[in-house]
Amino acid sequence: MQASRARLFKEYKEVHKEKAVDPDIQLVCDDSNIYKWTALIKGPSETPYEGGVFQLAFSIPEQYPLLPPQVRFLTKIFHPNVHFKTGEICLDILKNAWSPAWTLQSVCRAIIALMAHPEPDSPLNCDSGNLLRSGDVRGYRSMARMYTRLAAMPKKG
Amino acid sequence: MDPEDELRDNESTGDGDFCSDDGIADYDYGDADFAESQEIVSPLKQNYTILSEADIRQRQEEDITQICAILSVSRSAACNLLCHYKWNVSKVQDEWFANEENVCKVVGLLHNPVKTSNSRKLNCGICFENYDRSKMSAASCGHYFCNACWKGYITTSINEGPGCLMLRCPDPSCNAAVDWDMIDRLAGFEEKEKYARHLLRSYVEDSKKIKWCPSPGCEFAVDFDINSISYDVCCYCSHSFCWNCIEEVHRPVECGMVAKWIIKNNAESENTNWILVNSKPCPKCKRPIEKNQGCMHMTCRAPCKFEFCWLCLGAWSEHGAKTGGFYSCNGYETARRDGMYDESEKRRKRAKLSLERYTHYYERWATNESSRKKALEDLHIMQTNKLEKLSLRQGLSEAQLKFIIDAWLQIVECRRVLKWTYAYGYYLPEHEDTKRQFFEYLQGEAEFGLERLHQCAEKELQEFLDADTPMKGFDNFRVKLTRLTSVTHNYFENLVQALERGLMDVDSSDPQSSSKSSSPSSPGDMPGKMKSSKATEADDPS
Repeated sequence: MQASRARLFKEYKEVHKEKAVDPDIQLVCDDSNIYKWTALIKGPSETPYEGGVFQLAFSIPEQYPLLPPQVRFLTKIFHPNVHFKTGEICLDILKNAWSPAWTLQSVCRAIIALMAHPEPDSPLNCDSGNLLRSGDVRGYRSMARMYTRLAAMPKKG
Repeated sequence: MDPEDELRDNESTGDGDFCSDDGIADYDYGDADFAESQEIVSPLKQNYTILSEADIRQRQEEDITQICAILSVSRSAACNLLCHYKWNVSKVQDEWFANEENVCKVVGLLHNPVKTSNSRKLNCGICFENYDRSKMSAASCGHYFCNACWKGYITTSINEGPGCLMLRCPDPSCNAAVDWDMIDRLAGFEEKEKYARHLLRSYVEDSKKIKWCPSPGCEFAVDFDINSISYDVCCYCSHSFCWNCIEEVHRPVECGMVAKWIIKNNAESENTNWILVNSKPCPKCKRPIEKNQGCMHMTCRAPCKFEFCWLCLGAWSEHGAKTGGFYSCNGYETARRDGMYDESEKRRKRAKLSLERYTHYYERWATNESSRKKALEDLHIMQTNKLEKLSLRQGLSEAQLKFIIDAWLQIVECRRVLKWTYAYGYYLPEHEDTKRQFFEYLQGEAEFGLERLHQCAEKELQEFLDADTPMKGFDNFRVKLTRLTSVTHNYFENLVQALERGLMDVDSSDPQSSSKSSSPSSPGDMPGKMKSSKATEADDPS
């Protein structure tokens, strides 16, 4: 338990150092609980998520980093590998391909990469997966775009 | 050959009585030719080896040693290679000599460690602390992590399961294998034990030709020769199972049918069927409703509260004098006459029939299973207790009394076969009347024969157990029981074989069958034994 605390503390320091380095990710630790983090990530460019800011919630187990953190989207997103209702993410490095050398920062980067490259063959959001699998890229893009506008972009006016 | 030709053929055999023919018919052991079938049909040759844990360990050890010697690699590397190629020694060699470099890359045996700075202190990539190099370790890749983090990494992986046998360097971009040496050096005692356990299990579970005996608590495994005729194996723990599907031995029924039967026995589908038979859906909210008492005026449960007529499922508010009064819904009667409800009504009836049919076979299947278990218990009591007593009373050695054990073993086996014939019967197509009749005849005979054997082995034996002095009838008893055992054995063996051939002997020779059976069976191929059964059908003056 002490090990996870020490490691998270190191990451906390690192994040504050690295802030300027990765402008797409903003990691914030809960004031009172070092095992709860949130992150704001920018939707990657040239994707229907571009221009959106998505909030992620991290729940970190005491065995971290030997076990992966639990991450889910708090912002609604239309993506084949994200559960539409719960925001749960299906990503191998958060499950069996986890390595203790990953950090919260690198998890965020992996999630941004997943947003740009969805895996429609193992969908958590079947509607979205089916659109892509049937080749209806336009349909998928419009849906994803719509939800990005509705949920991930500041309201105008 | 069309069915009528066959019919004539059958008539020409002239032998209408199935029982007096040879083969199976010999079961009628009361008469003179009883002795003919004394010879026990030889059991199929054993084509498998039972392995104890020590045997497995030894084989595994031999394989590792062999790979070490042939490829000149370390034991740890040999282990990694064998795990990766599922303990297939020749495959490891083939791959290795075809492309050693590629194999090393895939398995994670690296020869060129990455360059690390030469400073004495290094940063651990897991806890991000700086450590003296002497307190750190790396796999063949040279990615250093502190020993404490290594220990945590290895422990987590071992506790997660057999995936630890393929453990890689924690660096996400690195493929280097974490080998046995490292585990040995860095893991705790308990974890090392678990790792060894996983290694042993992988030898059996990854292999295509070895499987664990599925009996609870049994530690033997069975190495099976894929080319053998029968999948039936019998473990040292006395559990018999089908090597192919791991279910208990199930001749004459094939694996697929067993799987279907087991699913059927467990399935919710039978519940669904019950609901279909005994309930109707509320016409408004569609919830199934069982009518167990009362009048036809139904009120659905809250929140629906819809009031309707059970017979016509129409709203109760529309009922009244014009429907012939509340209690006799003419609407239903008229509509039924008009055929309006036929479809759903028929469906319900069909479902009910099929449920009853299933219950019929299931009950008998289950009864035979409990009889088998009881017989197994009796056999056990015989072996542990009664045999010794009998040996004292009759002044015979236990070896001389072995025929009694044989009889009981036969009873257990017969119960097992009989049990599975009920699953067989359930799946026998209903329209194949001849097969069905023949099947039921054979089954009936089998049951009858088994009862006789059981009676003799239980009741008649009891007299000799109760006697205080040697009885002179014992010799006769021995002859009778031995013969009954062998006759029953033969009958059941023939029954099994007949069922395994799909009762081809009576195929398409059915003069009554409305549907033409399409299986291309030629009567000429049939073994003589069961041919006469066709005559039984043919004799039918229809």
